[in-house]
Formats: sequence, structure tokens, C-alpha cells
Amino acid sequence: MARAPKRPNRFFTIGSILALAWLGSIAVLSILAPVLDSIRDPNKLGPSYSKNYKVGPGWDFWFGSDKLGRDVFSRCIFGAQISLRVALGSIVVGLLVGGFLGLLAGYLRGKVDSAINVLLDVLLSFPALILAILVVGRLDVLAENWTWLTRTWSVTIVLSLLSIAPIARIVRAQTLSLSEREFVLAARSLGASKWRIVGKEILPNLVPAMVSVAFTGVAVLMVAEGGLAFLGYSVKSPTSSWGKLIAENREKFNDGAWWGTTFPALMLFLTVFAFNVIGDRFARRFDIREAAL
Amino acid sequence: MRYALTRIARFVLVFVIVTFLVMLVTRIGSKDPIRDLAGGTVGDAQMDKVRDDFPYVKACSGTFEYIPCVAKQYVFWAKDMVTGNMGVSYLKSQTVFEMFQERAPSTFFLGFWAIIIGLIIAVPIGVYSAYKRDGWLDRILSLGSYVSISMPQLVLAVLLLYGVASRFEFFPNRTNYIAPWENPVEHFKNFFLPSLTLGLGLGAVWSRLLRADMILTLQSDFINLARAKGVKPGRVLWVHALRSSVLSLITSVALQMSGLVSGAVVAEQFFGVPGLGFRLVEAVQTNDILAIQAITAVIVAVVVIVNVGVDLLYSVIDPRIRQMRAMG
Amino acid sequence: MSAQLQTAGRQGGGTLIEVENLQTHFTTPRGVVRAVDGVTFSLERGKALGVVGESGSGKTVLSRTIMGLVPRRGTHLGGAVRFEGQDILGRAPKDMRGVWGKEMAMIFQDPMTSLNPLMKIGRQIEEPLRNHLGMGRDDARATAKRLLTDVRIPEAERRLDQYPHELSGGMRQRVMIAIAMACGPTMLFADEPTTALDVTVQAQILDLINEQRRDRNMSVILVTHDLGVVAGHTDEIAVMYGGKLVEKAPTRRLFAAMKMPYTEALLQSIPKLDEPSHTRLATIPGRPPDLVNPPAGCRFAPRCPYAREKCLNEEPPLEQTSDDASHSFACWYPVGSPEYLDKRAEIDAQKVSVA
Repeated sequence: MARAPKRPNRFFTIGSILALAWLGSIAVLSILAPVLDSIRDPNKLGPSYSKNYKVGPGWDFWFGSDKLGRDVFSRCIFGAQISLRVALGSIVVGLLVGGFLGLLAGYLRGKVDSAINVLLDVLLSFPALILAILVVGRLDVLAENWTWLTRTWSVTIVLSLLSIAPIARIVRAQTLSLSEREFVLAARSLGASKWRIVGKEILPNLVPAMVSVAFTGVAVLMVAEGGLAFLGYSVKSPTSSWGKLIAENREKFNDGAWWGTTFPALMLFLTVFAFNVIGDRFARRFDIREAAL
Repeated sequence: MRYALTRIARFVLVFVIVTFLVMLVTRIGSKDPIRDLAGGTVGDAQMDKVRDDFPYVKACSGTFEYIPCVAKQYVFWAKDMVTGNMGVSYLKSQTVFEMFQERAPSTFFLGFWAIIIGLIIAVPIGVYSAYKRDGWLDRILSLGSYVSISMPQLVLAVLLLYGVASRFEFFPNRTNYIAPWENPVEHFKNFFLPSLTLGLGLGAVWSRLLRADMILTLQSDFINLARAKGVKPGRVLWVHALRSSVLSLITSVALQMSGLVSGAVVAEQFFGVPGLGFRLVEAVQTNDILAIQAITAVIVAVVVIVNVGVDLLYSVIDPRIRQMRAMG
Repeated sequence: MSAQLQTAGRQGGGTLIEVENLQTHFTTPRGVVRAVDGVTFSLERGKALGVVGESGSGKTVLSRTIMGLVPRRGTHLGGAVRFEGQDILGRAPKDMRGVWGKEMAMIFQDPMTSLNPLMKIGRQIEEPLRNHLGMGRDDARATAKRLLTDVRIPEAERRLDQYPHELSGGMRQRVMIAIAMACGPTMLFADEPTTALDVTVQAQILDLINEQRRDRNMSVILVTHDLGVVAGHTDEIAVMYGGKLVEKAPTRRLFAAMKMPYTEALLQSIPKLDEPSHTRLATIPGRPPDLVNPPAGCRFAPRCPYAREKCLNEEPPLEQTSDDASHSFACWYPVGSPEYLDKRAEIDAQKVSVA
């Protein structure tokens, strides 16, 4: 029986192009921010407002100013740096470590697989946020002695840890199914060594899945960082990330100062959405089955 | 049966490792955990008594002796937990057990309603969009769920609380715990918004999953046969097709559990729900060790039990799996 | 037996199904696929028609179109189908639902995937009974049990509560037949019913279908690629190629006096017991035609060993043979014609020289 015509799975649709554009501009802005004059110092205090003097979005302060008179727009841009850096850094570590573990488990199987599986189970049964606050909390204590261990680093460490397990699971599943396929059997029958097979046959086929996971993973991590910030476990003032901004300006929301929370929230949402769109498009283009992250 | 036992054994293993790691983490960098635990509320003289009561709260040091040191403490703690002594929270002047009694119900209901709301959203939407695939309603719903997934719970919570709650006097700003059997209306008012925040996120993920799975199922031969038998489309969808897709739905429920817990922690903070998540955040801030260990133990236990439960549920739902497992 | 109950009062003969110039065209990204391109035939009550052809010949689409199961989006339907005198082509599913499972039934190729794996057998049989005939639970169960016995499944009572995967392939196909027979249909479509089964079981299933046909005075359209299947179990055979009907004749006559070279080729490709061992299997060279851009002229011409110029340019019409009105074929130079014999001599000469 025939089916209705399928829509082509191109990568570059309107959605993904817009998403890429958005991400590109955010990245560029945040990198150039310290250099651009038109973007104020995000930490410069202005006249703090009282109920009578609220600075909403306008010509002077594009996104308005927060309770300490700081420019919300520039805080958003600088915050972008932190949010992105943390999320991207963590995903990279997650891909490296998680990918490695998943590959080992999927290819070698047997006892190695069981052991790694238990490890992954452990990591996965822990509700992410709880692990995060626990670890960040303890790292704070350690940070008293190790001054390089800023909150930014702590958060990155924690998020990296959290992203290892889901990525490892996905890579393991893909490796398992790939190593059953004929071309791997063919390579083996030709006498190729294990590492060669992994490097030449399996790894290249994992790349699309990993890229797609990377994008959706970044989205998830940014949201997670937001959650952490809200609970007070993310970067410390005066550094800011989007999550932190939302948390900071929450109290003033009630008084009607909606801009402090809404704009960072909007930027967070759009960026997360953009990453999701790209990751999803990528997965569809390469026909990867959806896995639960 | 054998299968169930292996699963349970694995669960126990994971549980032990996790709780051990938690203990490990709480000891990191802490010079005198007893002081963390009780200092400030208990005078120095009583400190010694505390030390005796809780021999497993000690400082550990040294790179190689660290793990065995914690391991010893772990055994003591495990023994205590099993016998029902979950420890004391000096900060709050109550035993951990009392704390559970006080706090657990809130968190339970929060999660419970969140799951119910999630399912109420996901099932009709998932089934319907799979049926009327690529129709205009399907596209709108897909977009909607996509947006929901990208929306950090935080943002959603902000919207809900300030957008909705403050407008209408109906929902309280801070959630209080009122049991549903005491006063259903108040219970609803208090728990609706936080549960909705969590439930929407869950519902979005589940509806996408269900839709994808149903689309695949609807292409199967047995659905064709059902049609060729003259079965009405409603029945084909809900009786024949859904039965197959339910499997992946409950898998997702299990997988989302730990995410649900994380979300609950945030939601509790935000809406002021007097539950375990809220308490846990406090405990971490003050390094209230025993409370931390107990709460995390319970949370992990719940997550793992749900996972195992779902796994065993497979056997109930799909007779083929039942047979496969029985054969070992 | 349930068969007798359900066919009481059914008339003896007469035409049940008339198909006139049926066309089913699917719109796909590649173009319009003319899966069925002008098929005409009719079938009497109680008779069995075998529809034979390669994959891609349109035989499955034909049976589904007649029944009305093809998706409506992106499909163009042409011609007419009359069932018991009523036009049914292009009717909406909601109108056809009363017919499906009740007057017309279909059994599919793979019984493992066609039965709902999560539903007990009993329930799957009872479903049409309760749906179409309004039976209550106990009646339905009793009838289901009788149906299972009719299709020769032992321990019927126990089987009712079993799941498909607990039965063997042959038994599953019997269950499918039981489901199809449940409401006593007048028309049965059997779509490759034996392809997924062992050879030993195939004959049993075909006999079973025949038995039901006779008991219920039911018409059967048996779709298959296997000539062996239709040989002993049909009254008439229709050969399809490239979406068109190329030959139709009463079974015996088709095998004895086929006209279309394609039919001849099909027959020749069946290995025979009396040939010496290691005889090369005769195959039909080439591939089935592209149904988006079918060739001008006879669709089989590109692969036909006897094709001549006319075959490639003009499409032969379906004509009746001079001596038997029930035998029609579409070929310019059919088996037995002078041109055919000439070509045949050439081919044979070549074969001898090679051997």
C-alpha cells in the first residue's frame, strides 16, 4: 500500500536558519562585548531606583535597569558569555568522557559493559539538581583553600558530570547497533584490529548522533544552570548568567518591574529553543531515532 | 521471577553506591562534621554525647584512608537506617523521621499531581496528533510541545505565578500543605500551580513521544487488519494502537522520574511548597548531614523503585516479554 | 456448523463483483504511480479467482482497491467496482465499515504481524462478531470457539485465551481465516496467504480456504505470485503485469493452452520434478516496468523473448480467444501464432548450439 508523500528532511529549513542566526549573533555580541563601547559595563552601579524612579526599557537602557541601577541589557550580554561557556564546556567534557565510556561499553560488551552500566545507573538515578547542589555546596568548602575554584568552575564541573551518563547511554546504544552491522563484520573478517574498527568504522558513524545530542544537550544544560542559579548555586555576583539574572530580579517583578526578569528569561528561552531546533533538525537529517536525554 | 530478583539485586547495588557517594560528598572538606551537625544549637558539653550517638559522623582525611574511613561510617549509618533510626536534625530540633512525616506528603502530592496532569495532557494530544498526522492541529500542537520543552521551568513558573496567581486572588502566593481529605478545594488551590508547572513539562515530552510511537504503530499490519475488519477508528486508536504505544510511554514516565524530582526542588523553592526538596536545599546550605543523607536516600530509592516497577510492568502489559523473561 | 447457519438462504449463482476499467494511481514525490491501470473482470458467487503476478504487478493494490482499503490522500481512482450491483469505488471509509469484515473480508500475508500481539486470540475473533452482528459476550465466545474448530484448530477453548505468539505460523493463519469467516462474508480476499508459511502448511491452508468457500458459497480472490498456489485451488486465473490484466482464463485452460508469453515464462520458471538435476532455473530477465513512466506498447515487451516491433509501439488490447469466450489475453503474437513459432525455433536453435 502506498503512503502519502514524505516531506524531505533537509537540514536548512526556515527554523534552523533562524536558529543559527540567533545563536550566531548572541555569540558574536558576547565575545565582542567588552570591546564595544555602546555596551555599558554591566557592573556599573547607577542610581538605584525606588518606587518613583523605575527605569524601564527605553533609549538609554535598552532592557531597562535593575534594582542596583545596572544595565539589564549589558548584563544579559555578559551573562550570555557565562551561560554559553558553562553549557558548552560541560557538553564537551560530557561528549568526551561519556562518548568514550559509551563506546567502550557498546563495543567491548561483557563485563566491561556491565560495570559501566552500573556506573551509569548510579549517575542516572540521582536527580540531577540534587547532585548538583550537593557537589557545588561541597566544592564551595573546598574553594576556601583552592581559590581558582570559582563558582563558574564548580558549575562547569557539576554539569559535565551530569551530562556524562545520558551521552554515554546514547553512544552505547548506537555503538551496540552499529557493531552488529555488516560493515563492521566485514572489517573484522578482513582482519582489522579492534581499534582500527572503532576508529574507522564506528566512530565516523557516531558523529551525527553525537552532534545532535550535543546541541540538545547544551539546551538542557542551559536550563539546568538556570535552575541552579535560581536556587542560589550558580555563579556569584557580580558575575551573572541568565538564570542568575532571572533569580536576582525576581523580587522586583511584583512591583511591576517586569523587564529585569522577562528579558533574561526571553533570551534564555530563545537560545534554548534555537539549540533544540538545530539539534532536532540535525537528528532528522541523519535519521537518528529519538532517545531520551 | 528470577528476572525480578536480578533487577532488585541491581537496584540494591545502585542504591548502596549512590548513598555511599552522598555520604562521601558530605564529608568532603569538612573538618568536623559533628560541629556542622550540632554546633550552634548544642553546647560544647553535649557535643560528646552527640558524638557517641552518631559514631558515623566523623571527619576523614588523608587521600588513601579517605574511602575506607567513610566506608566504616557508612556501615554504621546503614545499620541505623535499617533499624529506623534516621538521625536527628539539630538545626530543626526534630528527628529526621519527624521531618519526613511533616514534609513528605507535600512533595508526594506535588509529584503525583504533576504526573497526572502530564498524562492528561499527553495522552489525548499524543494520540490525536498521531491520528491526524500533519493536519493543521497537529502542527500547532507539535509547535506547542516543542516550545514547552524549551521553556525552562523557571520561566514557566515565573509566568504562572506572577502572570496568573497575582492577577486572580484565587491561588495563594505561597503554598501551604493541606491534605486533600481535609479540604479538597484548598488542596487544589495550593497545589495546582506548582503541579501544573511540572506537569506541563512532563506532558510536552510525553506527548511527543507518544505521537512518534503511535505513528509507527499505526503503520503496522495488525492495524490494517483491524481496519479491514470494520473496526471503528476510535476503537482502532484507543484499544488496538494505544496498547502498543503504552510501553514506551511508561518507559518515559520512569525515565522522567529523576527529572521530576529535580523540577520539584525548584518548584518547591519557587512556590514555597513545604516539602522535602525545600528542606533539602536548606540542609545542603547548612550541611545538615543526616538530613541530607536521609532525604537523598529516600529520593533515590523512590526513583529506582519506580524504574524497577516500570520494568516489571512490561511483563504485565506485553505477553511476549512475559514469556521471554520466564524463559530466562 | 457456523458456515451453514450463516449461508442459509444465500443464492446459488450470479455475479458478485464487477470490475470495470479500474485504475488506481498514487501521487508520489517521484511522480504518478499507475499501480493498477485499467483492469476489467467479473467474478461469480462461490467462485475462486487467482490473481497472479510479480511484485509490482499491481495485484495487491488491485485487491485493496476493490475492497476500498487504499488511502484516499494522494490517490486517484478511476473506473468502477460493483459489489452485489452497488457501486462501491471511492466510497468513504465510514460507509464501507459496515461492509468490511461483514460482507467482504481480507486475510493478509504475514499472520505474525497481522494479529494484534497484545490481544488474546479470542477477543480478536469476537471483535467483528460483536461489532457487526451485535452479539453478546457469551454468544460471541461460543461462536469464536466454533469458528476455531471449523478452521481445525485443536483445543479451541484453550486457544481463545492465548496470544498470537503462542501459536505456530500455520495456526495463526487459520486464526486469521477464522476472523475473516466470523460474520459469514460473501467475498474473501486472500493476499498472499501462504507466502509466510512452510510448504507443508501451505496446502492445508489453501484447502481450508476452499472448504470454507464451498460451504459458504463465498467468492474468493486469491492474490499470489506463486502459480503453484493457484493451480489446484481456483476456478479462474487472472495474470497481471505492470498494472494491467494480460491474461485471464479458467484454470485448467490457462495451464494447458496459455496465450501470453509472460504466462508461459511464469510457468517455465517453476522448477519441475522430472527435469534432470542441475538443470538451470529459467528466469525472466530484466526488471518489472516503471509504473510512473510505463513503456509505450505492451508492457512486457522489453523482456519478452518473442517481442517484435509492433509490441514495443502499440499496446495489445485484451481479446477473447476464438474458441473460448472465457479466455482472454492481450498479446500481438500469442503462443501458437506463426510469429511465435518462428521465434521459438530461433531460440531453440540457439539453445542447442550452446549446450
